[in-house]
Order: sequence, then C-alpha cells, then structure tokens
Amino acid sequence: MSARTAQERPQRKGSIFALNESNPLVPYLFLLPHAIFFFIFTVYPVGYGIWISTHRWDPLAPTQPYVGLEFYRNLFDPSTPQSQFFWRTLLNTLFFTAVSVPLLIAVALGLALLLHRPIVGRAFFRAVFFMPGILSVAVMGILWKWMFENQSGLVNIIASEYLGLPRLPYLTTEWLAWVPIVVGTVWWTVGFNMTLYLAALGNIPQALFEAAELDGAGSWARFRHITLPLLAPTTLFVAVTTVLASLQLFGQSLIITGGGPTRTTQSVIMYITEEAFSNNQFSSATAMSFVFGLVMLVFTVLQFRIMARDMQGGMR
Amino acid sequence: MNRKGKIGLALLLGALGTGGFILAQTQSSYTGPKVEITYLHGFTGPDRPVMEELVRRFNETHPNIVVKATAQPWGTIWQQLAALVASGRSPDVVVINEDQITGFIARGALSELAPAELRAANIDKNRFYKALWETADYQGKSYGVPIHSVALAMYYNKDLLAKAGVAKPPKTRDEFLKAAQACTTDRAGRKPGQSGFDPKNLETWGVGIPTPWMGGTIAYSVARQNGTNLVDEKLNATFNAPEAVEAVQFLVDLVGKYHVSPANATEQSEITAFRQGKACFNFNGVWMLSQYQGQQGLKFGIAPFPRLGTKMDAAWGGSSHLTLPRQRAGYDPNKRKAALEFISWMTQPAQNLKWTSAGGLPTQPVVAQDKSYDNNPMQELFEALPNVYPTSGYPWVAQVRGAWDAAFEAALLGKKDVKKALDDGVNEANKQIEQARQSIR
Repeated sequence: MSARTAQERPQRKGSIFALNESNPLVPYLFLLPHAIFFFIFTVYPVGYGIWISTHRWDPLAPTQPYVGLEFYRNLFDPSTPQSQFFWRTLLNTLFFTAVSVPLLIAVALGLALLLHRPIVGRAFFRAVFFMPGILSVAVMGILWKWMFENQSGLVNIIASEYLGLPRLPYLTTEWLAWVPIVVGTVWWTVGFNMTLYLAALGNIPQALFEAAELDGAGSWARFRHITLPLLAPTTLFVAVTTVLASLQLFGQSLIITGGGPTRTTQSVIMYITEEAFSNNQFSSATAMSFVFGLVMLVFTVLQFRIMARDMQGGMR
Repeated sequence: MNRKGKIGLALLLGALGTGGFILAQTQSSYTGPKVEITYLHGFTGPDRPVMEELVRRFNETHPNIVVKATAQPWGTIWQQLAALVASGRSPDVVVINEDQITGFIARGALSELAPAELRAANIDKNRFYKALWETADYQGKSYGVPIHSVALAMYYNKDLLAKAGVAKPPKTRDEFLKAAQACTTDRAGRKPGQSGFDPKNLETWGVGIPTPWMGGTIAYSVARQNGTNLVDEKLNATFNAPEAVEAVQFLVDLVGKYHVSPANATEQSEITAFRQGKACFNFNGVWMLSQYQGQQGLKFGIAPFPRLGTKMDAAWGGSSHLTLPRQRAGYDPNKRKAALEFISWMTQPAQNLKWTSAGGLPTQPVVAQDKSYDNNPMQELFEALPNVYPTSGYPWVAQVRGAWDAAFEAALLGKKDVKKALDDGVNEANKQIEQARQSIR
C-alpha cells in the first residue's frame, strides 16, 4: 500500500476546507442531494406520523391531546369498529394477493414463453399484451365493471344468450365479486411481468438447450431444468414487486365493486382512506398505516431471505 | 355603476329571459374599496362553464370586487379544507355539500353568517326552501347559503306503462305496487303470482333496488316518509326504529315477496335496464334527466319520488352551499363584506335560474315559478321540492350513512334479516359517533 502514489489513491486525511477530493466530507456531499429528499419526504413524515398516531389529531382542533397507544390498542380490542374492519380488510387484501400473484407470475411466464419463439406477429402481440398497463386504474376499473355488470355486462350476455349458462351477479355476490377485480388486475398488469420474463429469456445461452437436446432432454425437461432455474432471479424479483403491488390494492376495488358487497372486497388501504377522510379519524388511520406497513415489511424481509438463499443456490 | 353599465347589465339579463328578476340585481351591498376574493368550488363537470360564466358576470357588474374562482374535485376540497383553514390560508368563499357541511361546522372550520350580516347583504332565508336552507344550520345558527340542489326522483317509461295499462305515474305505495306488478313479466310471459312464474328470469319489471349508496338513498327516503330519520335529536344513530325497519322491509319485499324487482340489481344495471326499456321505473337523481333525454327511442317521464312510506311525502336531497371559512385574526373585513355580496348575488333568483340550466333544481319557490320551465320536464318535480330532506344536520353523516348503507345492503342481499341488519348498523354507527364526538367541540 505504501508503494502507491498520491495520484492513484486519495489521501487518507485532508482538511475539511480542502477544495479537492481529499476533503473527508466528499462522500457525504455526494449523498446529500438524496439525503435532503429522503429526510423531507420519508424521515420527517414517518416521525410526524408517529406523533399523529399517539395524539388525537385534527388540524381544526385547538388542542391535539396525547393519547398514547390508544389507536393501536383499538386495533386489538374486538369491541371497536377499527379492529373489526381493519383485520377483515387486511384478510381481504391478503386473499387478493394470494390469488393474483401466482396468476400474475404464471400467466406472464406463459405469455413470455410463447412470445419468445419466432412466431408471426411477435412484436405486435408483445405490444398488445403490454398495452393495458398504460391505462389508468380508473379506465381499467370502469371497463371491467362494465364487462362483469350483473345484468347487462358482456360476460353475462355471452353466458346467457350464447352459452345457455345462468347469469351470475358478480358485483353483488361475496367471493364472485373478486372475479372482475382479479381478472382485471391480471389483464392490466401482466404485460409488465411478461416483459421482464422476455428480457430474461433472451439472456439464456442457446448452447445450453442444444447440449441438453443432444443428451436427449425433451422439451419439458429442458424447461424444467434449464429455463426455470435460470429464470429464478427474475421470478423472485417479479414475485417481490407483485406481492407489494397487490398488497396495495386500492383503485380496482374502489371502482369495480366499491369494496362491496358488504365490505368483502374492500382492501385495507381503502379502509384506511375511509377512516381518515370520511370519518376524519386521522390518528386512527395513521396508526393503522403503521401496523399495515409493518405487515408489508415482514413480507418483504421474508422474500428477501428466500431470494438470498436461492441466489446462492443458483450461483453454482 | 354608470348608465352604460346598467344598460349592458339589463341586456345581459334580458338575454337570459329573466326580465322579472332584473330589479333585484342592480344594487351592490358592497361599497368599499376594491378587493380581491378567492372562491373554491367543485363544479367540475358540465356545470363548470355555467359557473364560470356566472363568475364572469359578477366580476363585470361589480367593478370593486374581483372574484378569482378555482374548481377542484369535491373529494380534494374535503381533504384540503381543514388544513387550509388551520393554516389561515383558506379561500374567502368555499362551496360545501350537504353531507360534509355539518361536520365542517362542528369542527369549527366555518364562520357563522350572522342575521345582521345576511340582512345587510340582502340575503333573506325565507326566500329559499326551508329544509334546504336549514341544511347549513347548526345549533340554531346559519353557516351557508344554498346555491345548488338535487333530489331523488322517479323516472317512468311511458310506453311500458301504457302497455301494462297504467294510466298515470303512481303516487302512493298501493298505486306503485299495482303498477309495478302490472309491469313485471318473466321470460315466458308469466306474471307474478301465476303458477310457474320465474322471478330469476324477468323480461320486464317494476323497479330495481340497487346497493349500496343509491339503495341507501332510496331507503332513507322511504324511512323519512315513515316519519323517522337516521339520527335522533341527540344526533345518535336510531335507524333501527320500527318505522325504519318497516321501510327497509318494504323495499326488501319488492324483490322477495312482490317479485317486481330483480335480485342483485346495481345502480348501473338499473340505468341500463331503464334505457333499454326493461324497467318501468327507475329511482335515481335528477342528474340522470339529460342522459335519459339523450337515449334514442326512450319515451319517459319524470315524477316526484312516490310515497312508498306510510306517513308523509319525502325524498332524499343533495345540496351545495356557499360558505365563509374561518379566517386568521386580522382578516380584512372588506373581504368578508365583498364575499357576502358575492354570495347574495350568486343566490339571487336570476342567477339560480341560469344555474339550473346545468341540471340542478331551483333553490327557491320564486325561481320554480318561472315561465321558462314550462316545457322542461324537470318542473314535474317542483311541487315536491318542499319535501326534500338532505342527509345533514349531524357532524357524522359519513359514519351514519356508511353504516346505514351497509345495513341496507346486508338486508337486501338476504345476508341478515332486516331488524338484525339495522340493529348491527346502529351499533356500529354509534361506536363511530362516540369516537367522532371526541374531536368535536
């Protein structure tokens, strides 16, 4: 180390007033632009949020009395509406996540495999499947609400007039009301995941397939032992981002079912919004946000753990 | 105002076809120095150009007041108003709707319009429909002047009614049930009560009762007709009273007992069915009028919401009110006077008449009598305007309506029996009210 000259490597110590890179503040100055925004838009709101959730906060009230953990306790006291609705809507959200994430991964992978082959109109179909993603949630929501409308929706018209099946009141039946939300969400966001898979498929060396073929591997074996393992990092990335996006379900439920019937498709974010802006219970809503944030954090940590383990396994 | 200005104003108002209202317009109650006031409203639909035109006319006729208007979606206004008032940055005049206004009053966001101020600005509350004016009253004081009014109405299909042998639109429960039964046939042409009648496959029907908000609005109207409200005089939820149970039970029976209504109706499915000529009746707001008028081949009429309850005429109403938010200490008193003049001018008959061209109902009887409505089907509703009751007067409309709508939905979809659904709803609403009370003075 001592043999190296000053040109090759910055000096260990310089004055904090030095105008070159020997200044020990340099790395922090590089971090500063991001740090400013991070403190203003993340650290400060989180801190203020903690303050709000432990006080009875209303911007119009003359005093904001300290109430300690009352709003957190409400979530665990079965006699409050908050505990009743918060956990129920959280379960709704988890149900949606459990149903939609596997679909969003499987359908995206299937489409990517089909559109990776040199078929006619490949670019066209890639664009077609990606395109719904550029719509706003309002447009997508209204579209799928119309499609699954109880009486006059296209799905029910086709079922009853052409297939002789009974009409199903999707929008007002428990569980069935999830169908338009899940189908709509898959249609809306699958193109993004598909694009990620297409990029990953392009990176798998063709030689691996040729070698496997020479060894007598069939198409299923090639998919199972080459494609799938080599896509694992992409799958995990897709899974993490899709789970986080699904947990934040809001617009689809709001527009397609309004959270109904009787709150069965209301997502937890919808309920938090209702508590804050319809009921004006800002502190209670903030407390719920923290608890829900914690739940999301747990999921993310779990997934990162799995990801780290799997990546090590995949590096051989 | 100079002579030229007066002539210009007269021509302007003459062009409106409102000759009778001109005299009230020429005197401004504000004579102070030139001030600028800000005005925030949520009329962002087809009504926006009409509102902008009215503001432009106000500015033209009031050289010493400049009104700067801003339109924002209603939801954004409700979310921001508390913070704006708390930080002393509130607009001078804000429009607030019936379901929000009592909450903002009780939380201290609005300033009282004192009787002396109203007199000085030529605002006479007796000019307006009583229940409409009182929507913005709280604990005996007034906080807003109605500028916009809507109501629940009944649309009826003239061809279907003629085919069913119904001579005129029903006004009472009995008339309505008879008409609705005459309207209802299943796919095989059978009537309710005939053997083999299949209520799951209706070809035409009386009326669909949807959920959740529109259904709650209809049920609220019937409960009011039975002489009860959603809350008592202490503002606690009491919508499990026998009168409310009776009202909800009747609506539930339209589906399950009388078979004049399809199960699982939604607001959208009923609008479509009415457009397609499958439903004889449609209960919806007066705002649907222009949409139905645009439907080719649909011969329909509009009538007051019929008396499906047992005691009195009543219908849900919605409204918007011009209010003066609380301002910081040292607020320019001239701005307040100018704002009151703006409110006064905006709610004069001539302006209200112009405003109703965007689809609202008159806020005052004198406007409802105007000849320009003679060929407007909307005037069928005018006789019922004194019986319009907004969901207002208690600071927790969202909590009460939320619980009521959910309870009605549970009853209508058969998840709970009516009494149990309403008991549970009242229980939930009162817990929420108890919490809301703690942040209200």
